[in-house]
Amino acid sequence: MNLVDGSAAAKDPGEGSALIRMRDIRKHYEMGSQTVRALDGINIEIDRGDWVSFIGSSGSGKSTFLNIMGCLDRPSGGEYFLNGVYVEELGANQLAEIRNREIGFIFQSFNLLPRATALGNVMQPLVYRRISYRRRKEMAMEALRRVKLDDRMSHLPNQLSGGQRQRVAIARALVTEPSILLADEPTGNLDSRTSAEIMQLFDQLHREGQTLILVTHEEDVAGLGDRVIELLDGKIIRDRRAGEPLH
Amino acid sequence: MFHVILESTRSALISIFAHGLRSFLTTLGIVIGVAGVIAVVSLTQGMSAFIGESFSSLGSNSLTIQSYTPIAEQMRGARARLTPEDLELIERRGEGIASITPILYANRMSQVRYAAQTTFSQIMGTTYAYRDVAQSYVRRGRFIAESDNLTRRRVTVIGEKVLEDLGLPANPVNEYVELGGEWFKVIGLLEAKGEIMGFNQDDIVIVPYATMRSLQGNQARADIQIQLSLSENADVEDTTRQLTTLLRNAHGLEPDEDDDFVINTAEQLMETFDTIINMVTLVIGGIVSISLLVGGIGIMNIMLVSVTERTREIGICKAIGAKRHHILAQFLIEAMLLSLLGGLIGLALGYGLGSAISSSIDSFPSASIPLWAITLALGFSGFVGVLFGILPAAKAANLDPIDALRYE
Repeated sequence: MNLVDGSAAAKDPGEGSALIRMRDIRKHYEMGSQTVRALDGINIEIDRGDWVSFIGSSGSGKSTFLNIMGCLDRPSGGEYFLNGVYVEELGANQLAEIRNREIGFIFQSFNLLPRATALGNVMQPLVYRRISYRRRKEMAMEALRRVKLDDRMSHLPNQLSGGQRQRVAIARALVTEPSILLADEPTGNLDSRTSAEIMQLFDQLHREGQTLILVTHEEDVAGLGDRVIELLDGKIIRDRRAGEPLH
Repeated sequence: MFHVILESTRSALISIFAHGLRSFLTTLGIVIGVAGVIAVVSLTQGMSAFIGESFSSLGSNSLTIQSYTPIAEQMRGARARLTPEDLELIERRGEGIASITPILYANRMSQVRYAAQTTFSQIMGTTYAYRDVAQSYVRRGRFIAESDNLTRRRVTVIGEKVLEDLGLPANPVNEYVELGGEWFKVIGLLEAKGEIMGFNQDDIVIVPYATMRSLQGNQARADIQIQLSLSENADVEDTTRQLTTLLRNAHGLEPDEDDDFVINTAEQLMETFDTIINMVTLVIGGIVSISLLVGGIGIMNIMLVSVTERTREIGICKAIGAKRHHILAQFLIEAMLLSLLGGLIGLALGYGLGSAISSSIDSFPSASIPLWAITLALGFSGFVGVLFGILPAAKAANLDPIDALRYE
């Protein structure tokens, strides 16, 4: 649960039990003649069972960081170990496998498959795991029960409210029993009452031992976690325990 | 792999039926292509089956020997002949022959008259053995007998067509018809045999062989045809070889000279027709199958649109763990299923079309689709689907998950 900033401890990737261990992660884009440093030397360790919120204004590198952490994108440099696996060495298919096994994504815009029912959406990640249809259905129903949507299983996404859609998305993320839930502005498209419900659900999952990583720009949402990390211009500028004063 | 195919098929079917009208229009090219090919094949194959039947009624173990003069020889006035002596020779020394008969045709279509009606028909002189060789049986009266031949009797057996053309009574036996200025008594009416490729087998007038020869008495030397049927255990090829040797010796041909006669079997004729029909099938089928290609391009076009439309979905699937081959299989199988469904519809439509055409034309044989045509049509349309699905599917599979997720 320590911020590691280039100290000797970070050089040995096998040390400790950190679920996520990043060392000097950089991401650079070439935009014409300019080089944009979206991430500029991120060092971090996150332990199992933590609830960590990343906060920052737009352009701070939040999204890029989330993509790299979620194995959707590869860093330009640095080292990233996820659950003991050195991610950079993996091919596209192995990254897909890691996403399927280790990570549950929750997006701001829900990103449900429009033609599939709530149940179908939750079953989808299991399709890539060679699980039989009947078993998939059982697992998906169980996940929907966890988010209290067992009465909406056969509804299409457009027949569901925003909060219900996000709960389907959470069920989809949970059904694979991932190491990490990775939520990108999960309440960004929801009203305050529904937001509170979703955050309550996160709190419950956290208490059940789920590792949670939240990316947001809302201070009060970020404040619900154990730990708040602030990004600015691709760098970590603050890493504090929740409840600690800002300054 | 089976799991991937099963899941891809499931999602492909959902997608195809979710866009029912679009799927139908997309696959229309394939439908029309397959329907066209199947209609053509069903018609020509129906015809082929019919011809096969017709020839088997001719007697498949019969041989016909005719004189043959190459065109170049004909120009120099030479003319090969088969003579009554050749007939005797074969009768005496041929092996494996059940029955044999000479046929002497009138030089040209001859006028036949009954009362005030006249018509032109093929007149042939032959013997009682013709009945067995050509399996040509009488429906009324009797066939030519040996005694008719020996006494050069002026009697005739006619075909159904001649009966109709001359307006003879339904039972023409004992009526008199005029052939080449002589009166002949009708003694029999042949069973109707129908047409083969526009040649009416019932347009025929049979007279005794000897009678025919006496009528042509002023001709120096006759050129006859010999038709024979083989005994049951005789081999067509062996007999053909033996007869060839016999006739070559009799005609005094040097080893380097070509035969001045040809020996045809009914089977050979049938094979010739089959070859022609297969060629027609192939050519027309080939032309029509171009529309399959066009249909395939239509599928590719729609699949490309579909990939673009579903870019975000593809991104979602990749984010939650879809590998490259999952996406590839999904789109490839969708294209293939679209094409196969089109093929199935086309198959039904083509068969319907073929049947409709064949039943709307009189005397046209009924349509029939061989299994190979069904297999080929479905196989080819599936192949077209895969071929033209590869590009869109590869495009989908190679999408970057982040770009795809960001796509609006």
